[in-house]
Amino acid sequence: MAGTVIGEGLSVEGDITSDEEVVVQGNLRGKLTSSDAVSIGSGGVVQADVAGQSVSSAGQVTGDVSAPERVDIQAGGRLVGDVRAARFTIADGASFKGAVDMEV
Amino acid sequence: MSQSSIIGAGTVVRGNLEGEGSLEIHGRIEGDVTMTGEVLVGETGAVRGSISAGRVSVYGAVQGDLSGTEAVLLERGAKVVGDLTAPRVGIANGALVRGSVRTEGEAAPAQPKRVAAPTPVAKPAGAPALKSAPFVAKPVAKAEPKPPVAQALAAAAPAPRPKEPERRPPPPVLPSLGKGAKGKKKKDRDE
Repeated sequence: MAGTVIGEGLSVEGDITSDEEVVVQGNLRGKLTSSDAVSIGSGGVVQADVAGQSVSSAGQVTGDVSAPERVDIQAGGRLVGDVRAARFTIADGASFKGAVDMEV
Repeated sequence: MSQSSIIGAGTVVRGNLEGEGSLEIHGRIEGDVTMTGEVLVGETGAVRGSISAGRVSVYGAVQGDLSGTEAVLLERGAKVVGDLTAPRVGIANGALVRGSVRTEGEAAPAQPKRVAAPTPVAKPAGAPALKSAPFVAKPVAKAEPKPPVAQALAAAAPAPRPKEPERRPPPPVLPSLGKGAKGKKKKDRDE
């Protein structure tokens, strides 16, 4: 079970700080920081800077994304913002606009 | 479809949450929560802000007002500093509350039903005139001496009967004596 679930139909306006897995299926406006995995579902709409151990998104994200491990944009996902991660994948069918910093 | 949301024990939210469906709070929230469904504040949950929902159940700590369109329930271990407003308010043994409680809404029918039910059983051959029995019976039951708080709560209920004042306990007469003086007077009487 995921530690924290922002379900479909829930809107959060503010900062979320967590040390466990966070799943966003709803709306988030503000900032999201977790020391564990962050995943944004296909229905998720995030207007926030997202930081997690790893970030995986199938939803819509507007904001900078950073993860020491990896960032994945899944098919259907949309990301507008800068990405900072050791590994970064953009699936076929995903859209992305922004800069990438992979710490080479 | 609105699914349920969970704020885990290791999560802190600074801001407001609003939406449909139910929400479980096991972490910390500093902000207001507004939901259409059920909000549950778990044992590890702590909310600083108001919660309004269809149904609010609290096992943890809340500093803020709670209002439910259906019910507000404080379970054992709950610590609430704030006002409670709902048609049904439940405070379990072991729950701590500091604030005012108001039960308002449509849950009131529960009591009149209880009063009305025995009447037809007791008098099955009741004439139409007897139909008014529940209304008569109610003020009689009400005439029992009640603490001031209960009286204030009952003020919203049907009009009081003129007979009622006779059965009321006499108004408290407080002698305008100091604390020490009162004690002394009693002692004098005993001797």
